[in-house]
This record gives sequence, structure tokens and C-alpha cells, in this order.
Amino acid sequence: MIAVGRGYAGRPPAARWIAALLFAIALPAPAAERIASLNLCLDQILLRWVPPQRIVSVTWLSAEAQYRNAPIPEHVALNRAQAEELIPLQPDLVLAGQFGAQRAAARLEEMGFRVVRIPDAYTLEQLQTQLGALEQALGPLPPLRARQQQLAELLAPARQKNPQAADVKHPTALILSANNITYGSGMLEHQLLTRAGFINLAAEQGIDQLGRVSLEQVIALQPDLLVFYGGAQDFAIAHLAERHPVLKRYIDSGRSYRLPEALGYCPALAAVDALEQLQQKRAELVQQP
Amino acid sequence: MRLNSYSRREPNLSNSHKFFFLLLACALPLALLAALASGPVKLDLWQAITSGWHSDNSDAVILWQLRLPRAALALLVGAALGMGGAAMQGMLRNPLAEPALLGVSSGAALAAILLLYYGAVSGEVALPLLAILGALLAVGSVWLLAGRGASATRLVLAGVAINAFLSALMALALNYAPSMFAMQEIVFWLLGSLANRGWDQVLLALPFMLVGAVMLVLSRNYLRALSLGESTAASLGFSGRRYPLLVLFGIAFAVGSSVAVAGTIGFIGLVVPHLMRPLVGQDPGRLLWASALAGALLLLLADILVLNTVGVQELRIGAVTAFIGAPFFFWLIVSGRREMSL
Repeated sequence: MIAVGRGYAGRPPAARWIAALLFAIALPAPAAERIASLNLCLDQILLRWVPPQRIVSVTWLSAEAQYRNAPIPEHVALNRAQAEELIPLQPDLVLAGQFGAQRAAARLEEMGFRVVRIPDAYTLEQLQTQLGALEQALGPLPPLRARQQQLAELLAPARQKNPQAADVKHPTALILSANNITYGSGMLEHQLLTRAGFINLAAEQGIDQLGRVSLEQVIALQPDLLVFYGGAQDFAIAHLAERHPVLKRYIDSGRSYRLPEALGYCPALAAVDALEQLQQKRAELVQQP
Repeated sequence: MRLNSYSRREPNLSNSHKFFFLLLACALPLALLAALASGPVKLDLWQAITSGWHSDNSDAVILWQLRLPRAALALLVGAALGMGGAAMQGMLRNPLAEPALLGVSSGAALAAILLLYYGAVSGEVALPLLAILGALLAVGSVWLLAGRGASATRLVLAGVAINAFLSALMALALNYAPSMFAMQEIVFWLLGSLANRGWDQVLLALPFMLVGAVMLVLSRNYLRALSLGESTAASLGFSGRRYPLLVLFGIAFAVGSSVAVAGTIGFIGLVVPHLMRPLVGQDPGRLLWASALAGALLLLLADILVLNTVGVQELRIGAVTAFIGAPFFFWLIVSGRREMSL
């Protein structure tokens, strides 16, 4: 198995932790009433957890069938991350991601708009930081608070020392994503697998970020659970591996699971559900003879 | 009767040529063994073979379900491309004719892309059928645009124009395809790949390849007669559109079904007939099966190279064949210039 570059999913610089700390000690701002977003994930969070009348604009991507969960309210303008699109809307809060649309965010800041950059999350700990930053920016929101609590509860048991840990069965799992990509020990997906009680075979092979795994290796490693990633509804040669007949026995015997596509671009929305489903899957596998 | 009397004049192979063919025939099983032994997982090959097809042993599964279909597909696609190239060079009487270079593969790939990514028609059989239709339209266009017996320049010009147009359409179609990976997949359709292929792809392409091969073999005497000139071919009874159409359909079936499952793999159809021509005594009929044999071997060897190349990204098989083919193409041009200056 060959480890590939860290990709965009790098570890956070120390500056991000300092920024998070500053968020924590800053006084909460008055709740924004005209919120705009320049980031797909933040769009999704706003559309799902914030009352629609408080949203003035989201990115055009959110209106695409691939990402849209519900119709976008009519009064919400779609932007292509250009500052000039947001100025006439006079938002009192502009949410931006850590990397994308930086030029537009900087221009809006120069013009006196309140721009808040929400850190990306590539681990469960970063996810908690991200939710904290969102609460700080948006003010108290019951669904957001509920998600934070869910996350904290799911993380808690793993922190406690379990005296019978040695007796607990740990089935093995391997992620086979598009283009034969697999996820190693430094990734959120690995954390979800291990917190659900699986041993991630990619991490066992020494992969720490993204790696490549061939179908031959999947068969040779014999994972108890084969984990696909994202929707394969649209045709792509990239998905050819998971359609190979050699994996049919995994699918037929129920020893496969599909991580939701949203986990890749917005873990805040998908991580908790995915973890619960993986835990359930593990329980089923352990019961099997 | 006419055909028999003509085929009786087939030149006989000399002993040294027979030896070369024997060598070629022996090299195939050896290359197959090398292909089955190549891969990221170390296998006990003998145990995997003796475990049998239905064994659940992971070595046996890797051998029978992953490595063997891939090698079989390399052999089939190589044979189809070699034979298609030989037929194309024979029919157009042009040493530069090649399915990938002249847009036939692009035609097939464009049709496959439209079906796979936009999917108006469902059903597995539609894929090779549409790719064959695309290949047929492309080869027909080149043939019409350049005219039969066209000069090398005119033919290559027509082929390059059609290939460029079809490649642009492929890029455009993939640009607007509703898939996150669509743009990245242009590389696959332009350079081909045998990765992650299984028996389903082999079985999908095989019948159409066989039909194409039968058509081409049936037209071998026409190709022989054509090598003496069009008017001689007509005087030998090969007049009318029946025979050219048989060759066109044969090429489209062989190349179209290959492209549908393995993408565009270039240069096999160009290089192989040139390598085999001296061995078969310039006989275009015999060149067909000799090119099929050598094409199969060459593509399998190229795939062994791909399998044994360690890299972050898979080495594309079309890049390997281009590395073999492009210098050969240079040699062809240089030797052509030398002949002209003599």
C-alpha cells in the first residue's frame, strides 16, 4: 500500500488553536439577522439549523441537486463567492471557510462587513472546535447545541478506560473510496471507525493520511467490514473498483457500509449519524458467528 | 472457386519466419504467466492455480477473479487493436493508418462517454453497441473525407482532423457530465486502463470482438487483392461496396468493443502490423492474424510493465504503448524521407 500526499487535509497550524481560544474568551456578538455564507458546508449548516428568515445568501453549489436536501427559500440569493454579489444584500454576518473565497472575504472585511472564518474540521476534536466557533458567531441555536452534546456523548466513552477492553472484539474495517483511495490514521474517517470499535486496516499498514489500496489488497487483507465512501449514483470510472464482482460477497453478506458523501465536505452534518451507524454495524458483525 | 484459386497463390512462409511465429506463440503463455505473477500482493501462484476457480482462498480469488480477467482483457484488446490496425492499413493501403491515430477510437470513446455519463439508454449490451456505432461513424468519416487510396498526407490530415474534433467533443462531454470525477476521467478515455476490470467486462466485449475478427478474416482475400491495386481487385471480382463495408464493420466491431471496456489505447494498431509485415511476406491476409497475435503479446507486456511500476498514481497503459509507438513512428517518418530522397 502506498501512502500519498497529505492532500488538502493537513493538520491545523498552532495558529488555529490560538484562534479557537480567542473565540472562546471573546464576548458573544449580538445574534446576526442577515447571514451570508461563502462556503458549501456553512451553507448546509445554515439551511439546516438557522431559521430561513435570518439567511440572505448561500453559494450556488447548495442549489445543485447533488447537495440540495430541501428547496432553497426564495428570498435567499445564490452567490458565486464574489464580494459584489453580497454588498447589495447588506449582510450583518458573512461566514467564510478556512481556505476558499478568501479574496471575497478580505474585500468584504475591508468594506466594514463582519466576516467570520470558521475553521475546517478534519478530526473529531476539530469538529468540536468548529461547532464552538459556529455557536460563537451565530449565537445560541438549539440544533447546534444538541449536535455538540451528541458529539460529546459519543466521544466520552472512548476516553474512559474500559477495564474489559481486552475482551472486546474488534472487527477489522477498510475504506475503499473512489479511485481506490483509503483513509489512514490521521483522518476523521479513521477516528469514526476506531470509535465505533473497528480496527482500520489502512492505519495498520502505516498509512497516516490518504493512501491507495488495490482490489487485490482488499481481498488479501480480508476486512470484516468493507466501507465505501460517497454516492456512486453517477457513473464514473473512479467507482469501477467498488462495482467489481469480486466484492459482491461483501455486499451480499451485509459486510459493507457506505459513508455518506456529506462526511467528506461537511462532517458537522454527517459525522454523528455515521458513527452511530458504524457502531450498529459493529454490533451486528460481532453477533455473527 | 475464385477465392480458392486466389488463395492457392498464398506465399509460403520460410523456415526462419516459421521459427519467429513459433517463438511468438511460445512467448504468449510465458507472458501470461508473468502477468499472473505481477501485482501488489505476493501470491503463491501454484497453490492459487490448484485451489481452483471456486475456492474462497484469497490467493485463488485474486488470481481467478482479478488477475486472470485483466490479463484476458489485455490479450483480447491487444489482438483486436492489432488486427484492426492491420485491416485499416490494408484497406486504406497506407502504412500510417491506425485506429487511435485516425479517430476511430475517439469515435468509440465519445459514444461510450455519452452513454455512460448521460445514460439515455440503459442496459449493458448498449455500451459496446454504441461504441461500435461511434467507431463506425469515425472510420466512415475518415474514409469518405480522405477517399480510398488517398495519399498518406491526405489520409493523416483527415484522420487528425476527425480525431481532434472527436477528442474535443469528449472533453466537452466530460466537462458537463454530472460526476465529480468527470474531468479527471478524460485521462482514462484518452490513455486507456485495464485496472479494476473483471470477467463482466471481458464477457461484454468478447462476443463483439469475435464478430469483428470473423468479419476481418472473411475479408482477407479482398485485402490481398486490394494490395495489387483497386482495379486489379475489381477485376478479381472484389468490386462493389460489400467488401469495403465488411472491413469497416470488422474494424468498428473489434476496436469499438475494445474502447468501450478499456478506453483508447494507441499505437498498438500502428506498430504491430509494421513489425509483422516482413514476417508474413507482405501478405495482408496473413498479416491479420499475425497482428492479432503480436498485438495481444505487446499489450500484455505493456500491462506487465504497468503492474510492476511502483508509483502513487497508476501508470496508464496508453502512455506505455505511446512510449513504444512514438519512437517507432519517428523511425517510420525518417525511413519514409530516406526513401523519397533516393
